[in-house]
Amino acid sequence: MNQPNGASTEVESFRSILGVRLPAHLLGRLYFLFILVAIEYLFCFGGRGTIPGQSIPGHLTFYGENTDTYGQIPIFAFLVFLGFGHFRLKVLQENISFGRILFACHLLCMAVVLAFTVAARMGLTWQLFDTYSYTKSAFYVVGTALLALACVPLESWRAAIRATGRLWLYASLAGVAGWWFGSQVRLLWGATMTAQSGIMQRATLRAVGAVLGHFLPDLVVDPATFTIGTSRYAVVIAGGCSGVEGLGLVLIFISLWLWVYRKETRFPQAFLLIPCALGCSWLLNILRLCALILIGNAGGSIAFQTGFHIQAGWIAFTVVALAFSLATQKISWMRKMPALASGNTGNLPGGGMGNIPGSSMHLLVQSGESPATRAYLLPFLAILIAATVSKLVSGYFDWLYPLRFIASAIVLWYFWPELKKINWRFGWFGPAAGVAVFLLWIAPAWFASLGWAHQPAASRLGADLASLSPLARWTWIAFRVAAAVITVPIAEELAFRGYLARRLINREFDQVSFTRLTAFSIVLSSVVFGMEHMKNLMDWQHLALGTLAGLAFAAALRWRGRMGDAVVAHAVSNLLLAAWVLGFGDWAQW
Amino acid sequence: MPQITTRKELHVTKSFLRYVLMALGLAFCTCTVAYGMAFGPHPHPSPEIDPGMAISALTLLAGSLAVLRIRRNK
Repeated sequence: MNQPNGASTEVESFRSILGVRLPAHLLGRLYFLFILVAIEYLFCFGGRGTIPGQSIPGHLTFYGENTDTYGQIPIFAFLVFLGFGHFRLKVLQENISFGRILFACHLLCMAVVLAFTVAARMGLTWQLFDTYSYTKSAFYVVGTALLALACVPLESWRAAIRATGRLWLYASLAGVAGWWFGSQVRLLWGATMTAQSGIMQRATLRAVGAVLGHFLPDLVVDPATFTIGTSRYAVVIAGGCSGVEGLGLVLIFISLWLWVYRKETRFPQAFLLIPCALGCSWLLNILRLCALILIGNAGGSIAFQTGFHIQAGWIAFTVVALAFSLATQKISWMRKMPALASGNTGNLPGGGMGNIPGSSMHLLVQSGESPATRAYLLPFLAILIAATVSKLVSGYFDWLYPLRFIASAIVLWYFWPELKKINWRFGWFGPAAGVAVFLLWIAPAWFASLGWAHQPAASRLGADLASLSPLARWTWIAFRVAAAVITVPIAEELAFRGYLARRLINREFDQVSFTRLTAFSIVLSSVVFGMEHMKNLMDWQHLALGTLAGLAFAAALRWRGRMGDAVVAHAVSNLLLAAWVLGFGDWAQW
Repeated sequence: MPQITTRKELHVTKSFLRYVLMALGLAFCTCTVAYGMAFGPHPHPSPEIDPGMAISALTLLAGSLAVLRIRRNK
């Protein structure tokens, strides 16, 4: 640290605080601070803002705006400051300290803010002279200031401002501009009393009406309530249905894609794809609404409508995103040689080829993912695609579940010549880990049965299965068990441990031995595995259980470096879980 | 000297416009997604994007992109 050369600073680029490794240098610490502030803002205020002129009980209102929306100004400003000051801040390589006492005070302040937030969500009123709002805002501001000083000492702030000149001023103005623009944009889809509000809803309503007018002679359109349909079935095109959510997601995806692959993309040609992608997203939402009304009008079941409504938006977004990414890769007018553009070939496999004249094609060929990705990912993707299709048409009861088994089995069979090179042998540790994961998985249900925990939400799967004929019921169960024990363990282990855990270490993941998995790659891939098992975004229980299960399977894999151990562990836990479900009728576990 | 001043002003204006454009983009994205996917009570019973399906949908997208970016064997 005290040595002037870069070697020691490279080693000390992270600083351990209470067992957590923090960035030791200014730039990393600023990014860390930004992430913390953004997360806390989301938790404390929901981060959603409100339509101007509308107030939320328990929030201060200045000039028609709730105080929570003002929090967006410093966040936008900070991000602009980081984005444009990145390279100038990166030069400041001195190690900086971390204020533990200040951080502890910050945590206390945030605890108070969160207590107020939770109290407000529980409906507790505590607003004598509006002191609640003032108190919450004051604690939030003080707490955030303490966090800023804990992460970056005052001297380092001064150094950052000196290094970036007037950037702080421009960033502040940009933050205000961004906040104002955001509040105006919300008017586009809010069905409020202002004249300019609900533009997206009106446009969508008219477009859907224009399309459906050709098919439904008795179509009724009510612009006042944004209702459209027939006497048999009608929908209200609310703000969330107006296509704006898809536009937002597509815009975020495009921004990230263009930024990540900026060296492989020609500008400004690629910008032309942005309006195309946004237009496609909006048109697909029109088609989604038209299809929904036509299905409902034709007497489609509620379950079918529900499945269609839930899945169609995501399918449209996925299609648009994939089409956009394909366009940037396949249209030569928008694509440029990645390695030649960057001028850096050191990180590429077979590095040094770029120095050889005429090797540009080789570099382009070498810039993508490893060809082994197909065999490791496609079995799992087949399950996801089959699940999407089956949920699209089946609604509440996933009667097309066998499709998942068949799809993944076909893909596994297709890639088996490649996959059989993997070590599928296993020892005692695999089954033992599987039993442990099973016991862990059913522990909450077991505790609930003893009265030590809350009962989980009742599942309607048992009732749905009971309504089937015996042949259909047992066929469905047979496929469900077969998938749980055979195809799902193989596909998920290939995807999460075989691909993701190793891809986090090296792009050429198939050259990384299973015994060389790092703690970071194991933990991150296990968290993603846990997220995949969440039944909704608030399902923390399955997130934790899935993550622990992922850690256990990864441990089985790393123990002897054999994929067979992880697959057997996964299969054993799923088999025992199936036996538990069928034996005790605990359908919520499926 | 006047030319230098003009260049400086132009540079400042360009820089400021870049910052503003970035902030506008951020504002549009964040408020759009926050509106559509914020946790807590949702005012719309049938949204275009169901947050409950987010993880599997994004996993499918990410996996598909990884497969699409496989380099060609030549």
